[in-house]
Amino acid sequence: MKSFNGNNEKMNRDELEQLQLEQLQSTLNRAYKNVPFYKKQFDLLGIDTSTLSSVQQIKDLPFTTRQDLANNYPYDLFAVPLRDIVRISPSAGTTAKPLVVGYTKGDLKARNTVTARFLAAGGVVDTDIVQICLNPGLSSWGRALKEGAENIGASVMPMTHMSTSKQLMAMKDYRTSVLLTTPSYAMHILEVIKDTNIETSNLALKAILVLGGPLDPDWRNRLERVLDISLTAGYGLSDVTAPGIGFECHEKNGLHISEDYFMLEIIDPGTGDVCLPGKYGEVVLTTLTARAFPLIRFRTGDLASIKDDLCPCGRSFVRISEITGHTGEVLTIAGVKVHPAQIEHILKTVSGKTPPRFLIRLYKENFLDMVEIWLEITETIFSDEVKLVENSLKHLRRQVFQMLGLEVSIRLVEASTIEQHDLPSGGVIDDR
Amino acid sequence: MLRVKNLHAHYGRIKALENVSLHVYSNEIVSLIGANGAGKTTILNAISGLIPCTQGEIYCEKTKINNLSAEKIVAVGISQVPEGRQIFAPLTVLENLELGAYLRFKKKEKDSIREDLEGIFRLFPRLEERNKQIAGTLSGGEQQMLAIGRALMARPKLLLLDEPSMGLAPLVTKDIMNTISALRDSGVTILIVEQNAQASLKISDRGYVLETGRVILQGSSVDLLNDSDVKRAYLGKDYKTFWEGRDTN
Repeated sequence: MKSFNGNNEKMNRDELEQLQLEQLQSTLNRAYKNVPFYKKQFDLLGIDTSTLSSVQQIKDLPFTTRQDLANNYPYDLFAVPLRDIVRISPSAGTTAKPLVVGYTKGDLKARNTVTARFLAAGGVVDTDIVQICLNPGLSSWGRALKEGAENIGASVMPMTHMSTSKQLMAMKDYRTSVLLTTPSYAMHILEVIKDTNIETSNLALKAILVLGGPLDPDWRNRLERVLDISLTAGYGLSDVTAPGIGFECHEKNGLHISEDYFMLEIIDPGTGDVCLPGKYGEVVLTTLTARAFPLIRFRTGDLASIKDDLCPCGRSFVRISEITGHTGEVLTIAGVKVHPAQIEHILKTVSGKTPPRFLIRLYKENFLDMVEIWLEITETIFSDEVKLVENSLKHLRRQVFQMLGLEVSIRLVEASTIEQHDLPSGGVIDDR
Repeated sequence: MLRVKNLHAHYGRIKALENVSLHVYSNEIVSLIGANGAGKTTILNAISGLIPCTQGEIYCEKTKINNLSAEKIVAVGISQVPEGRQIFAPLTVLENLELGAYLRFKKKEKDSIREDLEGIFRLFPRLEERNKQIAGTLSGGEQQMLAIGRALMARPKLLLLDEPSMGLAPLVTKDIMNTISALRDSGVTILIVEQNAQASLKISDRGYVLETGRVILQGSSVDLLNDSDVKRAYLGKDYKTFWEGRDTN
């Protein structure tokens, strides 16, 4: 088995549970002592952290949500003084306020280990040339992947804003052997290869590692067959943690969770109860080593189930199924998590008044996720002068890009078009 | 080798340890560090049965030891070198060492005891030179060597060291630390409590940081040595505010 630090990955369950218990206890001690939010929550519920005597008892602790993160924006969830922070990593989050995550030197080292594991399990070695193609909304992953691949010793081409044909040119000329991207972008590249008549035998590609989106088994088959590569998937949260929390091994049958850094639970999103293996529910993660930004029972909004049978690869880390969807209204667009209220917030800021009614239409073009915002024509933003309208639309597009890292197109529609769809303002038409 | 789960201990009504869990793998050196009164020595005393634990479990390999008496715990293979050496000052060096093998004398293991004595003299040639000397007249470093030697005479699998560098000059501390390292190479597993975090982490594989009876941090020694929190605890300095040093006003 290829692995980055094999000892931990093969640790027996008994040892792993002891390690998790120790880490969980000290995480709770640190969070209670250093983060007023957690102290207040535990005190309010009468939770004495010194009574937690097994990892299973984590179920008695309260959840942390993205709303909690937003409420404590920017620094109130930090558990160390700012002097110890070496990286401040903002992301759009899924509420009106962005999220800010801090890392100490040690946190970055841990993140690199977790990321390197995902990469090594997918076959990345120190002789590889690694190319990272992600959209700007996933830039925190881009950085983590770059550092993780450098940690392995590979040559890394970091995330760069280039057209697909330029990316392909680089892939061919630089002899890229590993591509890190989203499933849909991998498919898009395959299409462009076909259209531009590039001989796949001219590519040095041997592996593709994908993150941030559902991976259709047909896509995997096509990519592996046509490009003669091995494709493995990873799981991570683009806003708060590392990209490789979960990773597929060569068995390609579920994602192993790095359980020495994160504690995994699957809960029923309605009742909050822990789900049995095999049952789908919301992924809940607790950081076990984080110093700067500990998260206790963080509700990710991602839906998956636990596979508790032993993996033939020899790793003892538990596996989850692929992410099959999301709770609530959060959308994943090209790997980026977006809440419709964020777009509403941008509209409000741009129009300065009550925002016009709008719908969000998602569709695929050449396998890429596309976003169209349907805006009702009203007087609030638009005037008779075409130039002014054009300017305000351009401004709006730029704002969305700046806030969410997503390219969107805007379509002006009549009130009747919006009403036809029988959706409230901010509703989503998902044609993907 | 050693596994401690959810250990609680009290001195009277005062909580000394609250929910401490830790483990030591075979042939590892693990450090417990923290300020005075953090509970480091209490953990060692609880493991070696000198004080009762009010809650929790302690396993040495597969044996549960937290309700055994101190001498039974020695028989299981755990020996403690107490803080301040506590050698028998009026006795000779040799007599001190022989007392360390007290349990084995009863089992009539005279030949193997002689072999072990030779082993200890190889490790600490100074003790052989002075084997007839009254222990109380040895220097601090020599007394520490004697205390370690005495504990080794019980042939422990796990050696608990309480503040081995206490009161020693830096050069002597270095010597003692090197010896501890050499002991591990000879197959002994070591759990060491130290105020001198730097010195003990340097020879350790992993460490736990204690604060008011709780573990607040654990990790590899390299990570802990570079950790700002550990540096602060070790230097006894803390930032006054979240913004200290980064406040631009």
